[in-house]
Amino acid sequence: MIRLALALLAVVILAVPAGAPAQTTRERLDNGLTVIVRENPVAPVVAVSLLVAVGTRWEEPANAGISNFVHAVMVRGTTKRSGAQLAEAIAALGGKLSAAGDMDYSEIRASALSRFWRELLGFTAELALAPRLSAGEVDGERDWIVGRIQKRHDNASARAFDELFGALYGAHPYALPVLGTPESLGRVDHAALVAWYGRFYRPERMTLAVSGQVSAAEVLAEARRLFGDLPRRGAVTEAPRPSPANPGTRRVIEQPAQQAQILVGGIAPSLGHPDHAAVKVLSTVLGGGMAGRLFVELRDKRGLAYTAAAYYDPVHDPGALVLYLGTAPENATKAEEALLQEVDRVRTDPVGADELQRAKGYLLGRYAMDRRTNERQAWYVAFYEVEGVGQDYPERYRRAVEAVAPADVLRVARQYLGTLTTVVLRPR
Amino acid sequence: MPGRSTPAAVGAALVLLLLAGCAAVGPARPGATAKPAREVLPNGVVLIVQEHRASDVVALQLWMRMGGRDEAADELGLAHYIEHMLFKGTPTRPPGSIDRMVEGFGGMSNAFTSYDTTHYDFVVPVEHVREGIELLADLAANASFPPDEIENEKKVVFEEMNLIEDDPEKFLLRRLYELSYSPHPYGRPLLGQREFIQKLPRAELLQFYRKHFVPKNMVLVVVGTVDPARVRPLVDATFGRIATVPPARRESPPVPALDRTRRAEIARAEKQAYLGLAWRTAPTGSEDIYAVDLLTYILGDSPSSRLNQTVREQLRLVASIEAGYGAFEQGGLVTVMARLEPANLDRAEAAILAVIRKVRAEGVTEAERQRAVITAESSYAFDIETAEGLAKSYGQAETTWTLDNELAYLGRLRGITAAQIQAVARKYFGDDNYARVRFVPESTSR
Repeated sequence: MIRLALALLAVVILAVPAGAPAQTTRERLDNGLTVIVRENPVAPVVAVSLLVAVGTRWEEPANAGISNFVHAVMVRGTTKRSGAQLAEAIAALGGKLSAAGDMDYSEIRASALSRFWRELLGFTAELALAPRLSAGEVDGERDWIVGRIQKRHDNASARAFDELFGALYGAHPYALPVLGTPESLGRVDHAALVAWYGRFYRPERMTLAVSGQVSAAEVLAEARRLFGDLPRRGAVTEAPRPSPANPGTRRVIEQPAQQAQILVGGIAPSLGHPDHAAVKVLSTVLGGGMAGRLFVELRDKRGLAYTAAAYYDPVHDPGALVLYLGTAPENATKAEEALLQEVDRVRTDPVGADELQRAKGYLLGRYAMDRRTNERQAWYVAFYEVEGVGQDYPERYRRAVEAVAPADVLRVARQYLGTLTTVVLRPR
Repeated sequence: MPGRSTPAAVGAALVLLLLAGCAAVGPARPGATAKPAREVLPNGVVLIVQEHRASDVVALQLWMRMGGRDEAADELGLAHYIEHMLFKGTPTRPPGSIDRMVEGFGGMSNAFTSYDTTHYDFVVPVEHVREGIELLADLAANASFPPDEIENEKKVVFEEMNLIEDDPEKFLLRRLYELSYSPHPYGRPLLGQREFIQKLPRAELLQFYRKHFVPKNMVLVVVGTVDPARVRPLVDATFGRIATVPPARRESPPVPALDRTRRAEIARAEKQAYLGLAWRTAPTGSEDIYAVDLLTYILGDSPSSRLNQTVREQLRLVASIEAGYGAFEQGGLVTVMARLEPANLDRAEAAILAVIRKVRAEGVTEAERQRAVITAESSYAFDIETAEGLAKSYGQAETTWTLDNELAYLGRLRGITAAQIQAVARKYFGDDNYARVRFVPESTSR
C-alpha cells in the first residue's frame, strides 16, 4: 500500500529546478582583473577566493615549490601589519585567511561574517598587493614547508602518488610536487621569492571571487576601488611546455609502511577537452566509491585490497587518470594482476546501462555535494575563470555527463588506458 | 540549543561523547533566513521543513528522542549499537544495499549517538528526496537486524572503543564526564562495555528498538532546495503510517553536585601529562546558558582567551589549554582541558583557578564580551550555511530544547551583559566545586 502511494507521488515534481538559487555577476576591470560575485542569501557569511595564475605549471625542477613558498611568506605580514596582527584582525571579523600554491594557480582564501565583507576584502587586497615579504621570515617558512614535505614523503600513499606523477609527466611541470623538494626550496632565496611575486602578481592574471550574503553591486564597487588602480602589465613570456612523457614503465620503491600501494596511470584529457566528461564517467565506473568495479571485484569479491579507487581531476594541460589500490603486501601481485584485468575488461566490453546510470548519478551527486559551502562556491567560480572554461561550465558539464553513452566509455578507455605507467610501493 | 563549545582539539570526541553539547543558536539576521515550518503528524511524528537554496542538495535527518540515557545500567551501548545496525537492512533492503543506494545518488549518510538523542542523516541531490524519505521511514519502522551483521559489527564497535582510549584528549573528556556525572547516565560510556557488547543478544536490540522507535520520539528534518508544501504528502505516506505506540523514557537519578571527592589520577603511555577540570553549570532549559556560553568563549576558546593568555603565554605552564561547554537536558558541564609537563600539574591547576577567581571578582571587559558574541555568531553562521548544518541545529533544538528557543538564541546571546557573565561565573565556578582528572606518564605515576 505504501509502495503504491509512493509510486503515484513520484509523478509529482518535488524538486524546484536545480541551479536556481544564487545569482552570479562577472566583471572584467579595465586593468584585466576579473571579479565574480555570487549572491547567496542563505547564511550571514561571506567567502573570498583570489586566484592568481601562478603555480607549478610555470616552475621548473630548480625552483619547484616556489609559488607555494612565496604564499607561505606572504601571510607572515603586510606593509601595514605583522602576521599576528593580521590574524587577530581577521579573528575579530569571525573569520579566517590563508594562502597556498597549486598546479595552475595560487589561492588567497578568506571568510568571515558577511556584515564584515568590506573589511575582509580589504585584508585580502592588502595581503595580495602589499605583502611585506620580509627576508627574516624566509628561513622559518622554508623549514616549516620542508617539515611538511618530509611528512608527505613518510606517508606511503602520498609518496606513491608523487612518484607516479613524476614518472607520468616526465619533463612537463605537472611532474613537480606543489610543495617542492628540500633541494629546490634550499635554492630559493628571498630575492627569488620577491622576483617571483613581482613577475606573476599582475591584474591580468588575477580572479577575485566572492560568494555569500552580499550585494554584487557593492562588492564590485569596492573591488574596483581596491584593485582598479593596479597598472596593466601585459602577458608573462612563457616557454612552451614539453608534452607529458607517459613512459609506460613499472617502478618499484620500498619504504616502511603497513600496506603496499599500487598505482597505475595514463595521460588523459584536460579539463576543457571534449572527452573530459566521458573519462570522468570511465573513472567512476572503475573506481567511484563502493560500487566501482575495482571495489566490487578486488575488495568485495576477492578480498585483494583495502582501498580501491580511481582519480581524475584534470586542469589546464593534460590530466592523469590514476587507478589506485592499497593492499596487504602478500596480496600485491595478485591485486595488480586483477587491476590490469579490469582495465582489459573496460577496454573490451561496453559498460551496461544500469552501471552507466549509477556512475553518472554518483558523479553528478558528488559534484553537487562538493559545492555546498560559500568557500567551495567561491573557489569553483574563480577556478573555472582561471582555467578559461567559462561560467556556464557546471551546466555544460552536467549535460555532457548525461550524454555519455556506453560506446563513449569504451572509446575513451581504449584511447587513454592503452599505455600505462605503474608505481608500486612495497613495505620494507 | 546552547552550549556550543566543542573545543577544536576534541571536536571528534564530542561527536560521540557529547553530541548534544555542541552549539546551536538562532539565525543571525532574523528575517534574512526563512523560518522553518513545524508540523505534528496525527501519530506524533514532528516534521520540520525549510527551503534552503544554498546548493542543489537536500539534508534529510531523523532525530530520535532517545539516547544513551535511556539504557538500563546492564545494557550500556544499545543506543549506539542500534545506530550502527540501522543501516544494515530492512526486509526489502538487503545488507549493503542502503549504503550503495545512497552512494549511487552521489549522496552521503552518517549517524550519531548522544545521551539525549540519536540522529540519522542523509544528504542527497534534490531529485532523490522521495527515495531518501522513504528510506528513512523504512529504517525507523522496519530495521531487520540481520544476525550475521550484528556479529560483524562488533569488530567495528570495539575498534571505535580503542580509538577513544588511544586518543588522550578524547579519553580525558570521557573520564571527566564519568567522574562528573556518575551515577547519572551522562556519566556512562556511550559505546558501552566490551563484555556486554561481546555477548549482545539480538532480542535485546530488537526490544530496545521497538520500545524507542515510536512516532512520538521521531523528528524528521528536511532542509534544502525543496518546496515545503510538497514534502508533507511524502511524509504522510511514509512516517505518517507508522503505528502509534506510547513512548516511555527512562527516569534518571538527579545529577550529582561536585566537590573535592571527585578526583581521578590515571597512568598513561604519553610522555606529557593532561589535566581536566569540570564545573557543573546550566542544562539546556536554563536561562543561564547564554551567559555560560559567552563565559566559556572568554575563558578558553581562542589564542586570545584568558586561559591561553595567562596560563600558556605568560606563565608558560601548559602547552595547550581550552574550555568547552556541554549542555544537555538534565545537566551542563564546563570543562577545561590542558596538556602540560607533569611537574606543572599543581601549579597549572592553581593558575586556572586564579584566572576564574579573577573573573568572579572583576568580571569581563566589554571588548571580550563583544569578541565572544562575534565568535559565537560566526561559528553558528558557518554551521548553517549548509543544508545539513541548519537541519542539525533544528533537530537538536527540537529534541533537547525547543525550536523557538533555537531561533531566538543569537538574539539572546547579544543581549547578555558583562555583569551577567560575571554573575554566572560566581554562581557556578567555585574553588572547590569541580571534578578533576589527571593523566600522568606511566614512568612518573605515583
